[in-house]
Amino acid sequence: MPACKWFLPAVQYLLPQERSGTEPFEVISQSKHMGSLTPGNSMADMSDTSRYSPGKLFYEMIRSELEEVVGQDYITTRDSDKLIYSSDWFWLPQMVQDRKQPLPTADYIVHPGSPEEISVLMEIANKYRIPVIPWGGGSGTQGGALPIYGGIIVDLKRLNRIVEIDEKSLIVTAQAGINGTQLEWALNERGLTLPHYPASANCATLGGYLAPRGSGTISTKYGKSEDLVLRMQVVLPDGRIMRTPPVPSHASGPDFMGLFLGAEGTMGIITEATMQVDYLPETRLLRALLFESIGAGIEAGRQMMTRRLSPMVIRLYDPNSTASRLKTILGLELRGAYMVVGFDGDKDIAALQEDKAMRICRDLGARDLGREPGERWWKHRYDFYYPPKNLKMPWMYGTTETVSTFDKLEGLWKAQKQAVEEGFSDWNIKYIAHFSHWFHWGSSMYSRFIIEEPPEDAEEAIRLHNRVWNTAVSAALDNGGMINEHHGVGLKLARFMRRQYGDSWPFLVKLKQSIDPNGIMNPGKVGFGR
Amino acid sequence: MLENVLDVTENCRHCLMCRHVCPVGGVTHLETLTPHGWAQLVALERRGLSTWNDETVDMLYRCADCGNCQSHCVSDQALPEAVAAARAAVAEQNLAPAIVYDMEERLRRWENPYESRLPERAGQAAENALFVGDDTRYLRPTVLEAALKLLRATGIEPALIGKGRNSGFLASSLGLPRVAGDLARATLAELKATGARRLFVLSPAHYFALGRMYAERLGCAVPEHVELVDVTAFLAGQMEAGRLRLTPADDTRSYAYVDPTHAVRVHGRSQAPRALVNAVLPEPALELFWRTDRAYPCGNLALSFTQPELSDALTRARLADAVRCGAGGVITEGPGSLAHLERHASAFGLEVRGLYETLADQLVMA
Repeated sequence: MPACKWFLPAVQYLLPQERSGTEPFEVISQSKHMGSLTPGNSMADMSDTSRYSPGKLFYEMIRSELEEVVGQDYITTRDSDKLIYSSDWFWLPQMVQDRKQPLPTADYIVHPGSPEEISVLMEIANKYRIPVIPWGGGSGTQGGALPIYGGIIVDLKRLNRIVEIDEKSLIVTAQAGINGTQLEWALNERGLTLPHYPASANCATLGGYLAPRGSGTISTKYGKSEDLVLRMQVVLPDGRIMRTPPVPSHASGPDFMGLFLGAEGTMGIITEATMQVDYLPETRLLRALLFESIGAGIEAGRQMMTRRLSPMVIRLYDPNSTASRLKTILGLELRGAYMVVGFDGDKDIAALQEDKAMRICRDLGARDLGREPGERWWKHRYDFYYPPKNLKMPWMYGTTETVSTFDKLEGLWKAQKQAVEEGFSDWNIKYIAHFSHWFHWGSSMYSRFIIEEPPEDAEEAIRLHNRVWNTAVSAALDNGGMINEHHGVGLKLARFMRRQYGDSWPFLVKLKQSIDPNGIMNPGKVGFGR
Repeated sequence: MLENVLDVTENCRHCLMCRHVCPVGGVTHLETLTPHGWAQLVALERRGLSTWNDETVDMLYRCADCGNCQSHCVSDQALPEAVAAARAAVAEQNLAPAIVYDMEERLRRWENPYESRLPERAGQAAENALFVGDDTRYLRPTVLEAALKLLRATGIEPALIGKGRNSGFLASSLGLPRVAGDLARATLAELKATGARRLFVLSPAHYFALGRMYAERLGCAVPEHVELVDVTAFLAGQMEAGRLRLTPADDTRSYAYVDPTHAVRVHGRSQAPRALVNAVLPEPALELFWRTDRAYPCGNLALSFTQPELSDALTRARLADAVRCGAGGVITEGPGSLAHLERHASAFGLEVRGLYETLADQLVMA
């Protein structure tokens, strides 16, 4: 079995006697290696030795400490588990495995049963300066859950209880490890819905909805996950368990709940959340339209949003997407910019809103394709994510999604499309995009690149992948976009954070250092390093 | 052939869209023990990143082969078949758990895992046949008596086939396709000897095995001219047509209906047993959270031999679900499901009733 080379070999965990206890991020050289834990395939390396090294003995001591907290049924150091937890939905680890190369693995995987157990786990991790990587459904596309420095994966799926459903205030409080679809089914039994419908709901957890500030299909009306959360319980890196205030809208000081939204586990572990829910709508009206140009479609969306209509969804596909993806998934052969518009709620109100939206679209030259293709899109909207229609190996792909204001959207789309298509035409790159999460002031742009015949060599493939990302993100930043809108930062976009935040980046770093002085929380993610 | 079946793992290894309905993932919370995890294990072994050893084989044998993943896949990826094929490859290399080889011997010799007795052969020719199986014969014989009483009330006198013989599902699920094929062919030969044109089955487990698994995994099939009939669907139809009359039981307990193991593999079967249950209970049966097209299995799987603690966990999860919905008892029809639920029910303070037995008790004779 080949050895893993995808980790930083100079970084090691410290044995207690080696710690000075002062530096926030300690790095020791290989010369100090005493057979101690090496990030990555540490157990595999050590199991080759004929006798117990100090490192292996120490490894077992830590394991026993962790086991004492969660119980022996809820800790695993099996190689097979480490292997499975070494990859998430990020293209890079999938590609590395596809090229028959191993990835860095965690040293321990634990399934705590309470925030109190997580609190003690944090104390242990701090004592030994071991990375802690929160894990929900493993459905992140940015590598946010990858154990790139080894450490302890804290899988939250045992925290899957619904604490309370308040049918008067329409809020649900649930533990962070609950599966998204299972939570939705439970709410549906009461005629309720959590109006956050991400494609990943079948695998993602409630905590995973919040940690990267995710958006769902109907965010245009109901908001992103961060707009739906009222309150959270968080276990801080030092082990303290804290709750944010009971409601988010107040004037009682700064909104520090925001620190944990988008932090992807670098500031603490979300263990419980109170979310706003809604009644299941009486009706959902879906309709499809075809615009001659993407500009006309964007203008239609802008008018709907600025005139304060409340579409649950506006999904506008660019001409490439209209021609390729809609044919693959829905069997529609169309030229132009395809749009699905949906309104939900009470029948009369939804119908009135739809009528006004249709008038806007018709005035902009749209062809009304009727309900059937819109309803078919709604029914099959997640088929894009199932094999064999999903993007998968051996292709190279990435979702370079971004967000901007209406005045810049079309220019941003053109600039990114041109930069990617022209910059990588040798690779026959395909660029597709749609506009899917709309705000009163602008919209997200969910763009993707696909290279069907990438380099076979893993390192060459990574470099090409990163060059495409550099190009796409630069085009976004140079044209008024953000580095992303809802997939989070993870490992993939970490290197762009300094550029994204400019002068305010050091402030974020200071915050991180004060909350997590030993740098144990999900190191290497969101641009924070180790 | 094997490689083609295993190629499904290439599709499933990075797809997480059926995670929410995997019962094993649901009780273990472990990524490895989910459809994605099993697909990864197979795919990574094929890439040389893992090998089949005691640990990885143990993980491979923890898949319940319940079909929930495939039945929730919009593109019908046959991952359970791939897992069965991977187990077959492992078993061929003598790397399967020891119990698998013990079971192989038992199934070869006695055609069932429960008793050292050969199946009773069908004795008569008939228009209708009923597959009994080993679970009905050895775990819950009252199911057969009750089902026969009900069928006779509608004028059906079936020839009994496979009485005491495993359908072949157990062997297939354990990675023993040759044994499974032998068992399937023995049952099909019995069926042929009866000359029956209609074959009744008592549970979705039997329906799946004879109706799909034979064709999809074993390369044999119930002949096209033989209609496969779920007894609950038949009885519900008879009841609706007024040819089967039932009276409500005098029982004040609240019952939850439990879809038997493999119910998710038989599309559209959920209404018939509910119609029957509600005809004999004073109040409509309560519904579990894990029901109909998302029903978890009851533990009567190959797991009960290779990983009994995991099988028990699945059984207990069903009973806990019933307690959560306020039931004082559970009712179902699958003989294996009934046997497993009964084993743990007292710990949950629940009564277990067989659907066929209850219906037979409440039958209004003409």
